[in-house]
Amino acid sequence: MTTPHHQNVPNGRNPIITVAELRKRYADVQAVDGVSFTVDKGEVFAILGPNGSGKTTTIEIIEGMRAADSGTATIAGIDVSRNPRAVKQIIGVQLQSSAFFEHLQLHEILKMLGSIYRLKVDPEPLLNTVDLWERRSASFRTLSGGQKQRFAIAAALVNDPAVIFLDEPTTGLDPQARHLMWETIQDWKSQGRTIVLTTHYMEEAEELCDRVAVMDSGRIITLDTPNALIDALLARGFHRQHQVRPATLEDVFLDLTGRSLREL
Amino acid sequence: MLTNPAIYLTWMSIRMWLRDRAALFWTFFLPMVIMIIFGLLNFGALGNVDLGIVDRAQNEASERFIEQARRTESLRITTGHEADELDSLANGRRDLVIILPENFGPDSDSPGAQWRPLSIRVLYHASRPAESQVGLSLVQSGIDEMNFALTGAQRIVTLEPEAVAARDLGYIDFLMPGVIGMAIMQLGLFSVAFSFVTMKREGVLRRLLATPLNPATLLSAQVVTRLIVVLLQTLILAAIAVFIFRAEFAGNFFAVLLAAALGGAVFLALGFAVSGWARTEQQAAPLANIVSLPMMFLSGVFFPRDVLPGILQTVTDYFPLTFLVEAIRGMTVQGDSIITQWPNFLGMAVWFVLAFIIANRTFRWE
Repeated sequence: MTTPHHQNVPNGRNPIITVAELRKRYADVQAVDGVSFTVDKGEVFAILGPNGSGKTTTIEIIEGMRAADSGTATIAGIDVSRNPRAVKQIIGVQLQSSAFFEHLQLHEILKMLGSIYRLKVDPEPLLNTVDLWERRSASFRTLSGGQKQRFAIAAALVNDPAVIFLDEPTTGLDPQARHLMWETIQDWKSQGRTIVLTTHYMEEAEELCDRVAVMDSGRIITLDTPNALIDALLARGFHRQHQVRPATLEDVFLDLTGRSLREL
Repeated sequence: MLTNPAIYLTWMSIRMWLRDRAALFWTFFLPMVIMIIFGLLNFGALGNVDLGIVDRAQNEASERFIEQARRTESLRITTGHEADELDSLANGRRDLVIILPENFGPDSDSPGAQWRPLSIRVLYHASRPAESQVGLSLVQSGIDEMNFALTGAQRIVTLEPEAVAARDLGYIDFLMPGVIGMAIMQLGLFSVAFSFVTMKREGVLRRLLATPLNPATLLSAQVVTRLIVVLLQTLILAAIAVFIFRAEFAGNFFAVLLAAALGGAVFLALGFAVSGWARTEQQAAPLANIVSLPMMFLSGVFFPRDVLPGILQTVTDYFPLTFLVEAIRGMTVQGDSIITQWPNFLGMAVWFVLAFIIANRTFRWE
């Protein structure tokens, strides 16, 4: 499985992201060790892996925030290392921990970010997407953890990006907010956007993603559709020790507490 | 226009500034309070009488007279050419000037020779009656003493007091440029050091790194915002000094603002150097204080550097705040132009280049 992107190639591929042989070393750690993959336009693509596996570094190189030691990454045909600002112009980024200017209100932060892309932004629909319009005059610091996470999503959308990068978008969210996030990602997909995300939640990857790459120690150890990966595992003779029941504890939780967002 | 990143970011950062209560306190409120408290204290009123003597006689008698005057307590004697001394009087550096005529002294050089009746012109500061009266009576009593010793009480020397319209300079005139300079230093050093370290630590800069923002645009927005605040601060402090305490503002107003802006650029560059080095606010604060405190007390903000020991005067000659304060003071007090103040402007320019090089080397985004 050294060149996993050759497997299970669907017909009519139209790659918008191409990554080839990326490598990045920090002092004594080879954080990214020869990573290659492509992501199709309109695809939801997940990079999974334990902490320290190199997912975030890989994503940050593709976003143009970090320089790779070697290898190339292109988005929509633009080489990230050659023209990072042109790439940043067409992508939206949600970092694992985002912070924004103090002393600005949420709607002002969005307008200011918009001006960086030379766009006049209407904050209302953006804040509505993440159910924060009511809090438009708040400052970022006064938001709760989940609200900050949602605002970071809105901030990633100011430039109407073709490709959206989400680094652990649902970490720290309650089940209601996580399901809302999933719906939002499905909406973006139906609008023809491409989404690259990282997550620690396997049910999230299974539910949302067209294909997942699993990283460990800076390498991609497997890459396929969730179903193909599960089928392959079962074909190797894997059996769960307990049969999965038709409902989960999360279903119980959502049934009891409802699906609507709590913090507005 | 509002979708131009440079303009919009500057506009937003001005709004951020106006909402930052801590920044407003340090930038506007504290320097205002210092100006008002020290303005009310008016240390200048406690000073001596500055007496200038123009010695046209250049003889033994005139030298004896000057010698005697020097021994008089509470008289600060300066001697010089008539034009210089009158200029000093007009600019408020003297309270009164006396002119000893060519024929000052006895008729012949022989001991016990008779003095001719003569009159001495005394020019005094019209708007400083207190100092002038003290000075006049001191001079009068000195001359009476001399008369008595020479002639046995017969008064042959008379004083001809003459009021001169001159600018009335007091402690506030010294203080105003000092406080303006100090406020600019604090603003440049601390506002940049703290806000950039905070933005760096919290990850605001990292988030901006994910956008196509040109780093120079962000820096220029921050710098322009602070230079606008520097000018505003200078205006407010000058207005308080001039309209409440009647401080002198002799020079060209725009030249003073230019000096303020150049000084602001120097201290902003130093602030960026500090914020580049420091990773946390706890590191930035002591460093900014180490840079600013010696200047606050030794660069002639609150008291003249004449009182410092000689070596310290020489060292403080090269402090950036000394250049700034003395440039502004030269303009507001003596009405100097940028051209006559060129050494101080040059000093600031050199500091700006140095600080810019250091800042460029130490500055980091994350």
